[in-house]
Amino acid sequence: MTTLVLVSHPHLADSTSQQFLKASINSDEVLWEHIESQATIDIEKEQAQLRQADRIILQFPLYWYAAPAGLKQWEDTVLTRTFVYGDHRYPLAGKELGIVVTTGMPAKAFQRGGAEQITLDAALAPLAAVANRAKMKWLPTFAIHQFAYLDEPAKLQLVVDYQRYLTQTQPDNLQNKQAWFAQHLPAMIERLPLEQQQAGQLILTAFEQQQTDLEALTDTLGLIKEQEDD
Amino acid sequence: MTEQSQWLREQIEDLAVRQSQFTDRAFWLALSRLVQEQGRRQEQLEGEIDGRTWRPDRW
Repeated sequence: MTTLVLVSHPHLADSTSQQFLKASINSDEVLWEHIESQATIDIEKEQAQLRQADRIILQFPLYWYAAPAGLKQWEDTVLTRTFVYGDHRYPLAGKELGIVVTTGMPAKAFQRGGAEQITLDAALAPLAAVANRAKMKWLPTFAIHQFAYLDEPAKLQLVVDYQRYLTQTQPDNLQNKQAWFAQHLPAMIERLPLEQQQAGQLILTAFEQQQTDLEALTDTLGLIKEQEDD
Repeated sequence: MTEQSQWLREQIEDLAVRQSQFTDRAFWLALSRLVQEQGRRQEQLEGEIDGRTWRPDRW
């Protein structure tokens, strides 16, 4: 699977959260691009990248309940009517569109009665409408609230949650999560120092056993339920 | 949490603390959380199987 991450941020170098997210990407299936650092937007290149990606991620800080101006400019330039739907070919159809948004306010602020009085889904509605027009599949939004206040355990968790958001099969359920880790484990074991690789292999074997046990239990339960229906 | 998943988590976390790179440590700790979730799901499934098999009306 190919994922295209389009980052919009007017001062990327000053953003600790964006630098953190960039450093978290460990997959060669992920193409990362910063919109504002391009002097001019190469429409053909951008459209070609969109065509090639299976999952497109728009990543930005929330400014006044919307994406920064750079992303809007990119949209207005790249997402031409002809490209998105004008020729009835819908080249983006079936692709997934995910939003990674950082906010300065806590999660609880984004609800009715909260400090912001608006949900993130409501604030991002124009982007969801674009996804709908292009026949894309809208993914649940990945929001990072108050990055500066996250402690180390939360940051460690954010690394992998973000990686999974970029490359794991959706929906984010136990089965897909297991598959993602099973896929990444061999390479992670290879990265271990030589003296730790045996422990890594042991973990892999035990992890696979847990997966098999869970599948067997699920099957058993399925059989029992079937019999109850009879 | 089953005994097996408890043991597995200990192995993983032992490996995690020995990783110097932040993103490597993050991976192993996330795997440990997943194993915890697996253990919880396993207990729930076993409980449901027990509950559904316990049918005094069919004694």
